[in-house]
Amino acid sequence: METLKINYKNLYFPPGGILMWIIIFLELITFGMALVVFAMYGSEEPEIFHQSRLQLNSTFGAINTVFLLTSGFFMANAVVEFKAKNVKKSSFYFKLTMLGGLLFLILKSVEYYHKIDSGITLETNTFFAFYWLLTGFHLIHVIMGLVILIWTNNGMMKKNSDTEVVDVEACAAFWHMCDLIWLLLFPVLYLIF
Amino acid sequence: MKKTLLFNYGLLILLTISTAVISNFVAIKSLAIGLIMGLSALKFMLVSFEFMELKKANLFWKVSLIFVLFLIVLSVVFISN
Repeated sequence: METLKINYKNLYFPPGGILMWIIIFLELITFGMALVVFAMYGSEEPEIFHQSRLQLNSTFGAINTVFLLTSGFFMANAVVEFKAKNVKKSSFYFKLTMLGGLLFLILKSVEYYHKIDSGITLETNTFFAFYWLLTGFHLIHVIMGLVILIWTNNGMMKKNSDTEVVDVEACAAFWHMCDLIWLLLFPVLYLIF
Repeated sequence: MKKTLLFNYGLLILLTISTAVISNFVAIKSLAIGLIMGLSALKFMLVSFEFMELKKANLFWKVSLIFVLFLIVLSVVFISN
Protein backbone atom coordinates (compact mmCIF):
# COMPACT_ATOMS: atom_id res chain seq x y z
CA MET A 1 0.00 0.00 0.00
CA GLU A 2 1.13 3.57 -0.71
CA THR A 3 3.05 5.06 2.19
CA LEU A 4 4.75 7.84 0.25
CA LYS A 5 3.66 11.38 1.18
CA ILE A 6 2.40 13.27 -1.87
CA ASN A 7 3.42 16.91 -2.14
CA TYR A 8 0.14 18.39 -3.42
CA LYS A 9 1.68 21.86 -3.57
CA ASN A 10 3.79 20.65 -6.48
CA LEU A 11 2.19 21.84 -9.74
CA TYR A 12 2.42 18.31 -11.20
CA PHE A 13 0.71 16.54 -8.30
CA PRO A 14 -2.78 17.98 -7.65
CA PRO A 15 -5.00 15.64 -5.56
CA GLY A 16 -6.25 13.04 -8.06
CA GLY A 17 -3.32 13.45 -10.44
CA ILE A 18 -2.48 15.90 -13.20
CA LEU A 19 -4.06 13.82 -15.99
CA MET A 20 -7.37 13.62 -14.15
CA TRP A 21 -7.34 17.40 -13.63
CA ILE A 22 -6.64 17.98 -17.32
CA ILE A 23 -9.70 15.80 -18.07
CA ILE A 24 -11.75 17.72 -15.47
CA PHE A 25 -10.84 21.06 -17.05
CA LEU A 26 -11.61 19.82 -20.57
CA GLU A 27 -14.99 18.49 -19.42
CA LEU A 28 -15.87 21.68 -17.56
CA ILE A 29 -14.91 23.86 -20.53
CA THR A 30 -16.91 21.66 -22.93
CA PHE A 31 -20.05 21.60 -20.77
CA GLY A 32 -19.54 25.28 -19.92
CA MET A 33 -19.41 26.30 -23.59
CA ALA A 34 -22.57 24.28 -24.27
CA LEU A 35 -24.32 26.05 -21.37
CA VAL A 36 -23.28 29.48 -22.67
CA VAL A 37 -24.63 28.61 -26.15
CA PHE A 38 -27.81 27.30 -24.48
CA ALA A 39 -28.19 30.66 -22.68
CA MET A 40 -27.66 32.50 -26.00
CA TYR A 41 -30.46 30.51 -27.66
CA GLY A 42 -32.57 31.13 -24.54
CA SER A 43 -32.19 34.90 -24.93
CA GLU A 44 -33.32 34.59 -28.57
CA GLU A 45 -36.36 32.41 -27.80
CA PRO A 46 -37.30 33.39 -24.20
CA GLU A 47 -40.94 32.28 -24.36
CA ILE A 48 -40.19 28.82 -25.82
CA PHE A 49 -37.42 28.30 -23.26
CA HIS A 50 -39.67 29.41 -20.39
CA GLN A 51 -42.55 27.13 -21.43
CA SER A 52 -40.13 24.22 -21.99
CA ARG A 53 -38.41 24.79 -18.66
CA LEU A 54 -41.80 24.63 -16.91
CA GLN A 55 -42.23 21.12 -18.33
CA LEU A 56 -39.15 19.95 -16.40
CA ASN A 57 -39.57 18.63 -12.86
CA SER A 58 -37.29 20.87 -10.80
CA THR A 59 -38.06 18.82 -7.65
CA PHE A 60 -36.52 15.78 -9.36
CA GLY A 61 -33.54 17.96 -10.30
CA ALA A 62 -33.12 19.21 -6.72
CA ILE A 63 -33.41 15.68 -5.26
CA ASN A 64 -30.82 14.48 -7.78
CA THR A 65 -28.53 17.33 -6.63
CA VAL A 66 -28.88 16.05 -3.06
CA PHE A 67 -28.15 12.47 -4.19
CA LEU A 68 -24.95 13.56 -5.95
CA LEU A 69 -23.80 15.83 -3.11
CA THR A 70 -24.44 13.05 -0.56
CA SER A 71 -22.57 10.55 -2.67
CA GLY A 72 -19.70 13.06 -3.09
CA PHE A 73 -19.61 13.46 0.71
CA PHE A 74 -19.26 9.69 1.14
CA MET A 75 -16.59 9.63 -1.58
CA ALA A 76 -14.55 12.26 0.28
CA ASN A 77 -14.84 10.14 3.45
CA ALA A 78 -13.76 7.04 1.52
CA VAL A 79 -10.53 8.81 0.52
CA VAL A 80 -9.90 9.95 4.12
CA GLU A 81 -10.37 6.41 5.43
CA PHE A 82 -8.19 4.90 2.70
CA LYS A 83 -5.39 7.32 3.55
CA ALA A 84 -5.77 6.28 7.22
CA LYS A 85 -5.40 2.67 5.98
CA ASN A 86 -8.92 1.74 7.09
CA VAL A 87 -9.59 -0.13 3.86
CA LYS A 88 -12.79 -1.85 5.09
CA LYS A 89 -14.30 1.43 6.22
CA SER A 90 -13.23 3.06 2.99
CA SER A 91 -14.94 0.26 1.04
CA PHE A 92 -18.11 0.85 3.09
CA TYR A 93 -18.06 4.52 2.05
CA PHE A 94 -17.40 3.46 -1.55
CA LYS A 95 -20.61 1.41 -1.43
CA LEU A 96 -22.59 4.35 -0.01
CA THR A 97 -21.14 6.51 -2.80
CA MET A 98 -22.32 3.97 -5.38
CA LEU A 99 -25.76 3.91 -3.77
CA GLY A 100 -26.02 7.69 -4.24
CA GLY A 101 -25.04 7.32 -7.89
CA LEU A 102 -27.53 4.51 -8.37
CA LEU A 103 -30.35 6.58 -6.85
CA PHE A 104 -29.41 9.40 -9.24
CA LEU A 105 -29.65 7.01 -12.19
CA ILE A 106 -33.04 5.67 -11.05
CA LEU A 107 -34.56 9.14 -10.62
CA LYS A 108 -33.08 10.30 -13.94
CA SER A 109 -34.61 7.25 -15.65
CA VAL A 110 -38.02 8.08 -14.16
CA GLU A 111 -37.65 11.65 -15.42
CA TYR A 112 -36.62 10.47 -18.91
CA TYR A 113 -39.55 8.00 -18.96
CA HIS A 114 -42.02 10.82 -18.21
CA LYS A 115 -40.51 13.00 -20.93
CA ILE A 116 -40.59 10.26 -23.58
CA ASP A 117 -44.12 9.31 -22.48
CA SER A 118 -45.20 12.96 -23.03
CA GLY A 119 -43.69 12.89 -26.52
CA ILE A 120 -40.79 15.20 -25.59
CA THR A 121 -37.77 14.20 -27.67
CA LEU A 122 -34.53 15.63 -29.02
CA GLU A 123 -36.48 17.17 -31.91
CA THR A 124 -39.20 18.91 -29.87
CA ASN A 125 -37.37 22.26 -29.80
CA THR A 126 -33.95 23.82 -29.15
CA PHE A 127 -34.42 23.73 -25.37
CA PHE A 128 -35.10 20.00 -25.31
CA ALA A 129 -32.33 19.25 -27.82
CA PHE A 130 -29.91 20.78 -25.29
CA TYR A 131 -31.72 19.12 -22.37
CA TRP A 132 -31.35 15.62 -23.83
CA LEU A 133 -27.77 16.11 -25.01
CA LEU A 134 -26.44 17.77 -21.85
CA THR A 135 -28.20 15.52 -19.32
CA GLY A 136 -27.50 12.48 -21.53
CA PHE A 137 -23.76 13.15 -21.70
CA HIS A 138 -23.75 13.82 -17.96
CA LEU A 139 -25.56 10.54 -17.36
CA ILE A 140 -22.89 8.69 -19.38
CA HIS A 141 -20.26 10.26 -17.08
CA VAL A 142 -22.16 9.07 -14.00
CA ILE A 143 -22.38 5.53 -15.42
CA MET A 144 -18.65 5.61 -16.22
CA GLY A 145 -17.99 6.92 -12.70
CA LEU A 146 -19.93 4.02 -11.21
CA VAL A 147 -17.91 1.52 -13.27
CA ILE A 148 -14.67 3.15 -12.03
CA LEU A 149 -15.96 3.06 -8.42
CA ILE A 150 -16.82 -0.66 -8.67
CA TRP A 151 -13.45 -1.39 -10.30
CA THR A 152 -11.45 0.53 -7.69
CA ASN A 153 -13.43 -0.89 -4.77
CA ASN A 154 -12.92 -4.45 -6.01
CA GLY A 155 -9.22 -3.77 -6.55
CA MET A 156 -8.60 -2.39 -3.08
CA MET A 157 -10.49 -5.25 -1.36
CA LYS A 158 -8.32 -7.93 -2.98
CA LYS A 159 -5.65 -9.75 -0.99
CA ASN A 160 -2.23 -8.19 -1.66
CA SER A 161 -3.98 -5.24 -3.30
CA ASP A 162 -1.75 -2.87 -5.23
CA THR A 163 -4.31 -0.03 -5.11
CA GLU A 164 -2.55 3.16 -4.07
CA VAL A 165 -3.74 6.46 -2.63
CA VAL A 166 -3.35 8.14 -6.05
CA ASP A 167 -5.68 5.53 -7.60
CA VAL A 168 -8.40 6.17 -5.02
CA GLU A 169 -7.91 9.95 -5.34
CA ALA A 170 -8.17 9.77 -9.14
CA CYS A 171 -11.34 7.69 -8.85
CA ALA A 172 -12.75 10.23 -6.36
CA ALA A 173 -11.79 13.18 -8.59
CA PHE A 174 -13.71 11.65 -11.51
CA TRP A 175 -16.76 11.09 -9.31
CA HIS A 176 -16.65 14.65 -7.94
CA MET A 177 -16.35 15.93 -11.53
CA CYS A 178 -19.85 14.48 -12.13
CA ASP A 179 -21.02 16.60 -9.13
CA LEU A 180 -19.34 19.71 -10.53
CA ILE A 181 -20.92 19.33 -13.97
CA TRP A 182 -24.35 18.73 -12.44
CA LEU A 183 -23.98 21.80 -10.18
CA LEU A 184 -23.73 23.88 -13.37
CA LEU A 185 -26.32 21.98 -15.44
CA PHE A 186 -29.08 21.92 -12.84
CA PRO A 187 -29.60 25.69 -12.34
CA VAL A 188 -29.20 26.57 -16.01
CA LEU A 189 -31.54 23.88 -17.36
CA TYR A 190 -34.11 23.63 -14.56
CA LEU A 191 -34.29 27.03 -12.89
CA ILE A 192 -33.25 30.21 -14.67
CA PHE A 193 -35.47 30.37 -17.78
CA MET B 1 -15.95 10.78 9.37
CA LYS B 2 -14.21 14.15 9.44
CA LYS B 3 -16.13 17.01 11.05
CA THR B 4 -15.10 19.50 8.36
CA LEU B 5 -16.49 17.23 5.66
CA LEU B 6 -19.75 16.88 7.58
CA PHE B 7 -19.95 20.66 8.07
CA ASN B 8 -19.34 21.28 4.35
CA TYR B 9 -21.93 18.67 3.42
CA GLY B 10 -24.50 20.38 5.67
CA LEU B 11 -23.63 23.71 4.07
CA LEU B 12 -24.07 22.25 0.57
CA ILE B 13 -27.52 20.91 1.45
CA LEU B 14 -28.45 24.26 3.00
CA LEU B 15 -27.34 26.06 -0.19
CA THR B 16 -29.37 23.62 -2.32
CA ILE B 17 -32.48 24.33 -0.23
CA SER B 18 -31.79 28.09 -0.50
CA THR B 19 -31.56 27.75 -4.31
CA ALA B 20 -34.97 26.01 -4.37
CA VAL B 21 -36.49 28.75 -2.17
CA ILE B 22 -35.02 31.56 -4.31
CA SER B 23 -36.22 29.99 -7.57
CA ASN B 24 -39.77 29.79 -6.17
CA PHE B 25 -40.08 33.04 -4.26
CA VAL B 26 -37.84 35.72 -5.80
CA ALA B 27 -40.01 37.48 -8.36
CA ILE B 28 -37.39 39.74 -9.97
CA LYS B 29 -35.92 37.58 -12.74
CA SER B 30 -32.47 39.16 -12.98
CA LEU B 31 -32.00 39.01 -9.18
CA ALA B 32 -33.15 35.38 -9.06
CA ILE B 33 -30.73 34.39 -11.87
CA GLY B 34 -27.83 36.16 -10.15
CA LEU B 35 -28.58 34.55 -6.79
CA ILE B 36 -29.17 31.06 -8.20
CA MET B 37 -25.96 31.09 -10.25
CA GLY B 38 -24.03 32.67 -7.35
CA LEU B 39 -25.13 29.92 -4.97
CA SER B 40 -24.28 27.29 -7.58
CA ALA B 41 -20.79 28.78 -7.93
CA LEU B 42 -20.43 28.62 -4.14
CA LYS B 43 -21.46 24.95 -4.11
CA PHE B 44 -19.06 24.26 -6.96
CA MET B 45 -16.20 25.79 -4.98
CA LEU B 46 -17.11 23.89 -1.80
CA VAL B 47 -17.08 20.57 -3.66
CA SER B 48 -13.84 21.29 -5.50
CA PHE B 49 -11.90 22.88 -2.63
CA GLU B 50 -13.15 20.70 0.23
CA PHE B 51 -14.31 17.34 -1.17
CA MET B 52 -11.69 17.23 -3.96
CA GLU B 53 -9.06 18.75 -1.65
CA LEU B 54 -8.12 21.39 -4.19
CA LYS B 55 -7.28 23.67 -1.23
CA LYS B 56 -4.12 21.57 -0.81
CA ALA B 57 -3.10 21.94 -4.47
CA ASN B 58 -0.75 24.37 -6.18
CA LEU B 59 -2.13 27.91 -6.62
CA PHE B 60 -2.21 27.39 -10.40
CA TRP B 61 -5.00 24.79 -10.13
CA LYS B 62 -7.05 26.90 -7.73
CA VAL B 63 -6.84 30.05 -9.83
CA SER B 64 -7.51 28.14 -13.08
CA LEU B 65 -10.62 26.47 -11.69
CA ILE B 66 -12.02 29.70 -10.28
CA PHE B 67 -11.29 31.42 -13.61
CA VAL B 68 -13.16 28.75 -15.64
CA LEU B 69 -16.06 28.72 -13.14
CA PHE B 70 -16.50 32.49 -13.19
CA LEU B 71 -16.18 32.63 -16.96
CA ILE B 72 -19.07 30.16 -17.32
CA VAL B 73 -21.26 31.60 -14.55
CA LEU B 74 -20.82 35.26 -15.51
CA SER B 75 -21.41 34.49 -19.22
CA VAL B 76 -24.65 32.67 -18.39
CA VAL B 77 -25.82 35.44 -16.02
CA PHE B 78 -25.11 38.28 -18.46
CA ILE B 79 -26.57 36.50 -21.49
CA SER B 80 -29.71 35.43 -19.61
CA ASN B 81 -30.48 38.90 -18.25
